[in-house]
Amino acid sequence: MSEEPEPMDTDNQKSEKMFTLKKWNAVAMWSWDVECDTCAICRVQVMDACLRCQAESKKDYYGKQDCVVVWGECNHSFHYCCMSLWVKQNNRCPLCQQEWSIQRMGK
Amino acid sequence: MLKERGQLKFEDKWPAMRLIVLKLLRQESVSPAEWQDLFYDVHLVCLWDEKGPSKLKEHLQEDIVQFIKQAQARVLSHREEQALLKAYIAEWRKFFTQCNYLPTPFRQLESSLQGKPATGTANLQTSNNKKGQSEESIVRKLMLDSWNESIFNDIKHRLQESAMKLVHAERNGEAFDSQLVIGVRESYVNLCSSIDDKMQIYRENFEAAYIQSTEMFYKLKGPEQLAANGVQAYMRYADNKLREEEARAQKYLEAGSNAVIQCCVKVLVGNTLPILLAECAPLIKAGETDRLQLMFRLLERVPEGVQPMLTELESHITQAGLADMVAAADIITQDSEKYVERLLELFRKFSMLVHDAFNDDPRFLTARDKAFKAVVNDTTVFKLELNTNKSIGAKSVAPESKCPELLANYCDMLLRRTPLSKRLTSEEIELRLRDVLLVLKYVSNKDVFMRYHKAHLTRRLILDASADSEKEEDMVEWLREVGMPADYVNKLARMFQDIKVSEDLNSQFRVSTTRHDAINIKILNAGAWARGSERVSVSLPVELEDYIPEVEEFYKKKHSGRKLQWYHHMSNGTITFANEVGRFDLDVTTFQMAVLFAWNQRPNEKVSYENLRLATELPDSELRRTLWSLVAFPKLKRQLLVYSPSVTIPKDFTEHTLFWINQEFCLIKNSRPQKRGKINLIGRLQLSTERSQLEDNHSIVQLRILRTQEAIIKILKMRKRITNAALQVELVDILKNMFLPSKKMIKEQLEWLIEHKYMKRDDDDINTFIYMA
Ligand SMILES: [Zn+2]
Ligand SMILES: [Zn+2]
Ligand SMILES: [Zn+2]
Repeated sequence: MSEEPEPMDTDNQKSEKMFTLKKWNAVAMWSWDVECDTCAICRVQVMDACLRCQAESKKDYYGKQDCVVVWGECNHSFHYCCMSLWVKQNNRCPLCQQEWSIQRMGK
Repeated sequence: MLKERGQLKFEDKWPAMRLIVLKLLRQESVSPAEWQDLFYDVHLVCLWDEKGPSKLKEHLQEDIVQFIKQAQARVLSHREEQALLKAYIAEWRKFFTQCNYLPTPFRQLESSLQGKPATGTANLQTSNNKKGQSEESIVRKLMLDSWNESIFNDIKHRLQESAMKLVHAERNGEAFDSQLVIGVRESYVNLCSSIDDKMQIYRENFEAAYIQSTEMFYKLKGPEQLAANGVQAYMRYADNKLREEEARAQKYLEAGSNAVIQCCVKVLVGNTLPILLAECAPLIKAGETDRLQLMFRLLERVPEGVQPMLTELESHITQAGLADMVAAADIITQDSEKYVERLLELFRKFSMLVHDAFNDDPRFLTARDKAFKAVVNDTTVFKLELNTNKSIGAKSVAPESKCPELLANYCDMLLRRTPLSKRLTSEEIELRLRDVLLVLKYVSNKDVFMRYHKAHLTRRLILDASADSEKEEDMVEWLREVGMPADYVNKLARMFQDIKVSEDLNSQFRVSTTRHDAINIKILNAGAWARGSERVSVSLPVELEDYIPEVEEFYKKKHSGRKLQWYHHMSNGTITFANEVGRFDLDVTTFQMAVLFAWNQRPNEKVSYENLRLATELPDSELRRTLWSLVAFPKLKRQLLVYSPSVTIPKDFTEHTLFWINQEFCLIKNSRPQKRGKINLIGRLQLSTERSQLEDNHSIVQLRILRTQEAIIKILKMRKRITNAALQVELVDILKNMFLPSKKMIKEQLEWLIEHKYMKRDDDDINTFIYMA
């Protein structure tokens, strides 16, 4: 029976583990929590900046955080830039024709 | 004394006039009074005697011819050539001088003969002003023509011959008075009274004789030289002689005609062209730049001379390049540094050759570039590799050069912290990156480079392995400068931006919590980094699992509307391994961690493959790969894991294969076991699963098809209608910075687009396409 070594203090026991974690570099990817990957207004993927934002500053538009996604009450989602232009013409969702009202904004 | 008007006759005046004329011809001194008398008498004869002018001309001619006859006799009395020439030149110069004097008193005669009223001097003056006297003077023409007909035609052959003999003597290195030849030439030039073509007599006689004798000389000497001294010496001879003849022609010939040099070129170069060209390949091969330069100088003078040299150069570079590559196939297909350095060495060598031998002549630069292209895009070497490595799934796609992949690998070695990048200064790294871009210029499947470059960049950023982040971003701009497609370059730029955003986020996270010193997070934009890539599930060790909820909670507070997905196949870390020998820090992937931590509860047990699969929940292929990296890591003398029974490839592990920790594991340095140390077991960080890697290979084909379709539509949209040939040209132009579309693929895509009504063929011309909106 190995009675004596077992009840040693817990710190020491932990350090005696064969493998101990020193550093973990964890990688995750985020994406907009959307049902459809493509913005129906500009036909660009919602993970990319909308067409207008891409055109405005060709070189460094990728650094921008502002081109976010907006969800309507109907749960359809678009680039916020695209939708805010769209509602000036027509206050309905381009996909389901329901009256547009914002449910939440991406951040 | 003066006779009555009307009674004045030519015959009365002529005897006195004649005396003065003869004196003038003989260049004897004429007093001012005599000179004036002559003027006056000409005037009188022309004015009063109806037949005076014609008689005057007749008699004048008679005396001129007489005088020339005497001169001829004097000249011909010399038998010896130089003396003859000397005498002729002297007589001619005298006579020619008189050609400018004698006509002056006879101006009145000129007017009368031309049927003009013999009035005051105004008329004379205007005509004088219109054309120089010498140009239209009848008397002058009379003199020159007479000289031409009587003396010149008689002895011109002797003159020419004598002059040419002198030139010949000079060619043979004998000295003589070059003024003799020059004098003869001048007489030929000045002799011509034709206004339209003053050079006629000179050209048809002197120059023709000169060219003929030159041709004869080199037709004889050239082959003699060639036979006696060989081609190399002959080229020097020809080059010297051409220059010599150029100088000689300047001395002895009138300017403006290149005929004699062309003749020399024809004889010395043109006639021996095949023999000279046969030297070209050996000289290129031996890198004899001086001789090549000489050859280039010679062959450039003949119309078909340079083209064969270009062909030789191109085929030599191509062949030498490929031979070099094949000879070193084993090394270069494995070692991208050696491959690229070998290529660059080749480029440098041949660029230097083109510079030294051909003065960077654009035609030779083009030939060089064509050859570089052939070498860079050649698949021979890589086909060889495929043959030895049949386990790689056979692709239906035509084999392509691995050059772009190796270039990307080399870039990675320069940009990552590697022994190579540590060895080099920042300037050296920049130079080498520029070299890569230089080679890339010749690569036709640049899309392959882009794909590998992006994958390497992803690894460097995720592993924080860049040697110099400034240089990383410079490289992106350089890629933009050399014309890589903007959307591709933008994607790279976007990754840099995103990694900075993620770094900020990590700092915030670490501030928000104090107990998690062990964790760093990278939360990246899926659109920029991992579009379409597949995730792999794994059962994390509790030590890692514990962190997940807190990170997710933190992220939810910062952002909304986002979902997070963990990419454990990309994540990694450092663990400490303690065994009987010592303690070691291991850089490992999360998958390796998951496998190794399975032993923490049972350090000395042998664990079956099946058991590990249950513990880690890794998919079969990932588990096999991970285990293989722990039992057969290339850099380790003692492996971390031991297993039994032995296999040669990971596929052969069975569920019963047993694995256990090597308690004797340690690092070996200078063949001595170490008790402490750090080793990186990550190898090449996996960016996607095995399945999606296969898909990657297909995706490059898919992407090309898509790009081709897009480009065809773009062209048709703009042109509305276009011929097949024009379309192909524009298409290649649009796509050339990504890849070279094959004829077959273009055809297939055209058919597809026609089938799907994006476009149609013209009813009248099936080789013309029409855009359908
Ligand atoms: Zn949009
Ligand atoms: Zn926008
Ligand atoms: Zn809707």
